[in-house]
Amino acid sequence: MEAKKKTRSKKQSNQAALTPLQHLEPLELAIQPQAAAAQLNRVVDTLGKFLPKLPQGILIPALSGDPGAEIPGAEPEPVYALKARADIQGNTIPGFNKDHQHFLFFRIQNVKRAKAWLRWIAPLISSMDDVLTWVRAFRALRLRLGTEPPMCATWVNIAFSYRAIARLVGKADALLFGDESFRQGLAERSTYLGDPTRPSNRGHRSRWVVGGPKNEADILVIVAADDPEDLVTVKDSIKERAIRSGLRLLFEQRGNTLPGDLHGHEHFGFKDGVSQPGVRGKVSAAPGDFITPRYIAHSDGRARIFAKPGQLLLWPGQFLLGEPRQDPEHPYLSAPPASNFPSWAALGSYLVCRRLRQDVPAFWKFAIAAGSSLGMTAEEFASRLVGRWPSGAPIMRTPGADNNALAGDPWANNHFIFNDDTRASILRPIGGYAGDAFPQASQDMLGSICPHFAHIRKTNPRDSATDLGKPDDSMLRMILRRGIPFGPPVVGVKRPSPRLLKQERGLMFISYGSTIEDQFEFLTRRWSNSPIQPDFGGHDPVIGQRDQRGDRTRFIDFPTPAGPRRIHIKNEWVIPTGGGYFFSPPIRAIRDVLGS
Amino acid sequence: MALLTRFDTPASLRDLPAGSPFYDNWHDFIDLELAPSTPGTNFGEFYDASDTDVNTLGTHSLVWMAFPRRVLMPHRDDRLAAFVEAERTPGGDIGNRNVQDEYCEWRVERNAAGKITRVTFTTESPEYWEALWAVDRTRVVALYRSLVSPAVVEADLHIGGVYQRRNRWNEADGIVHLMQSINTLRAALGLAEGSAMTPTTQITGVPPPSPLPTAADNYEMPAVANTSVDPRVKYDVAALVRKPLSVTLREPIGLYIAGYDDTGWTKPDGSPVGNYWKIIRGRPGQILRLEYRVPPAAGFVVGDIRIGGRRIEWGGQIAEHVTVTAGGIAGVRP
Repeated sequence: MEAKKKTRSKKQSNQAALTPLQHLEPLELAIQPQAAAAQLNRVVDTLGKFLPKLPQGILIPALSGDPGAEIPGAEPEPVYALKARADIQGNTIPGFNKDHQHFLFFRIQNVKRAKAWLRWIAPLISSMDDVLTWVRAFRALRLRLGTEPPMCATWVNIAFSYRAIARLVGKADALLFGDESFRQGLAERSTYLGDPTRPSNRGHRSRWVVGGPKNEADILVIVAADDPEDLVTVKDSIKERAIRSGLRLLFEQRGNTLPGDLHGHEHFGFKDGVSQPGVRGKVSAAPGDFITPRYIAHSDGRARIFAKPGQLLLWPGQFLLGEPRQDPEHPYLSAPPASNFPSWAALGSYLVCRRLRQDVPAFWKFAIAAGSSLGMTAEEFASRLVGRWPSGAPIMRTPGADNNALAGDPWANNHFIFNDDTRASILRPIGGYAGDAFPQASQDMLGSICPHFAHIRKTNPRDSATDLGKPDDSMLRMILRRGIPFGPPVVGVKRPSPRLLKQERGLMFISYGSTIEDQFEFLTRRWSNSPIQPDFGGHDPVIGQRDQRGDRTRFIDFPTPAGPRRIHIKNEWVIPTGGGYFFSPPIRAIRDVLGS
Repeated sequence: MALLTRFDTPASLRDLPAGSPFYDNWHDFIDLELAPSTPGTNFGEFYDASDTDVNTLGTHSLVWMAFPRRVLMPHRDDRLAAFVEAERTPGGDIGNRNVQDEYCEWRVERNAAGKITRVTFTTESPEYWEALWAVDRTRVVALYRSLVSPAVVEADLHIGGVYQRRNRWNEADGIVHLMQSINTLRAALGLAEGSAMTPTTQITGVPPPSPLPTAADNYEMPAVANTSVDPRVKYDVAALVRKPLSVTLREPIGLYIAGYDDTGWTKPDGSPVGNYWKIIRGRPGQILRLEYRVPPAAGFVVGDIRIGGRRIEWGGQIAEHVTVTAGGIAGVRP
């Protein structure tokens, strides 16, 4: 350290004080629906042409005991033997991941008859063991065949609102659920999540198709299938039996993955669900028999916190009640489980359901107008809003153009950090995989490549410090996302008809976590909806909601070489239209507690 | 870029007339706290803008939550317990500002029914008030009277002429500036400056070699305090320094309330609340003293408001929606 001057100098002028870099004048957008129609047609037609497939010849290993995956000296992870695996619902871990899903929202009318129905449906509920066994068989067969095996399954999960639990087991037991947001329900928390406060707004809770103050659901049943016919058969059977048991069907929603090359994409045209946390824990005590496969070599210190490049490992208590959780001050050590729930709820998980309508033309009209004003294509501009290109390739790794090969490489498409140059990972041998040869991401601490407002940066700041401190805290906020689109796609459709454009489409957002308030609500309110958290730069322009005494204008500070350009967003393209806060109980409790 | 000629007061406050020696004294205080250059990793540095010439490349505002994370995390399953701890002094109810260690403290006032009527937040440093006291005691007393109570007299604020940070009107009977022991501007400057040099590492799980290597990214940073502010400053400054960049705090140097979010707060009738925030000292973006109070004409008080359906019973419920900031700039030597 240089020697400090100690002389006190009297300085009279403040004229040369440092001046922070100034914002440029706000960008005024003029979106003319008629003029934009042709461009919109071009954009939606162009989208939907992706080939983000796995590189040829790579065989993802089947999940099974792999002694080489164990890290000597690492803290032992919990083993989920058959009894526990048969108790945990399969959509929580490992997730259904099916192309066709159906959501049934019921209201209990007669408790005794509802209990009888619960005893009937309990054996139908698909467990973690069911799903994991199927996934392992699927992967083993794929390894043998070298292609996607012709296997089908149909799975069912169930979840209950606080009100339903209070009715089924009594208020005293229900009050033991410590998550206050769960007890309040989504409708009561709606405006806290930034949803519209004015009843005249189409997203106001009073206008929801389900989950509003007058149509809150007690029970949510999720049916998922590979085969659409199987799906219909099973959901019809459940529905018919439920209605015969006195349950009232409040609402039902079919969800489908988008067709063709848009598989896995959401309605705006962007690949969804690329980044999911990996759940720690083992299927058996056999060495290396992890729930989440480990791909990083021990010689790379990041093997302790990542399952594969970019996929953080989280202790299962972040998603399952009563299991070891993340240490708030450390990236890979565990902390004691939560205890603020009734004992029968252990291994259960809170489920958040949001039915989000997507106004695809509104989104792309905005992108066309703003992109044009900034000298960018609509695709370039929109990709900055998301943080990924439509294919799913991260902006951080390919700032100049989309890259389908990168998007299709699961060991590369999520491997990047924001604050420093990303270093290549050292991977364990993966048959046929030559390694991640794509250019690594350069540091972007000031958000000039992937802006601070970008959806993927808002909801997953990765290595960045945040308003809650170190990245270890951000790990406490992560959720398991299990959403699926609903409604007919418009992207990829040549000259979509006015009728098609008017049809409703969106996302059935489903997430699991061990707290609603500190995970889903935290991500939504604290980061997506805030223009200054976790960093200054604007609102999340994709899912962010803002309602300041009725004013729903959002903004982003778009980075340009001359300085940030503020763009006000007056239109909305993600509109809440329903949902609910639920609890997905352990399977035995459906029969023995809730249905008894 | 030219050298800074004088450090300005926080939010460019002008509590004394132009020409007062107070302004030079304040400059000297900041200048003496900062070394001309504190070398960091990869030849980056933390610098004193009045001594070291740097071409600014960009700005970065560090933002963190006002509610103390150190109190929140041990109560991750019982938020109410955290709110209570952050406010209730053992054996009393005057506010537990001793645990409000995120460079933001608040004071709660209640009516006879126990309902909250006003919550006052401050990020003003004690050093500023000491500097003011050293030049013009009368002005300090006048400010106390306007901010806290007309009953303030000079004798309440000092012992033997030495200004007391924990005087009656800044502890038991009011709030004027930060009083928690490490909530000082000196500590904040030291935190920022000291963050330039940061060793590694925690993710390998083995004892680090000696001498300590440099963290290549934030996942390799060593363990730091369990507050929000310490890692926010340490990680961000260290990351900028190792680019390598020259980093310092943005003028006017200070700790500020950056924002407050009352989305989803409702009146007793369920409609959205009005704008009941009042900036008492500072300005938008550089708020030093902020008050939350419902105008008497509204017919209800703060304690009748609900946040996401939950009635406000503790100041912490508001504090967790308030954010604090310090501005940073980064650049390179000419």
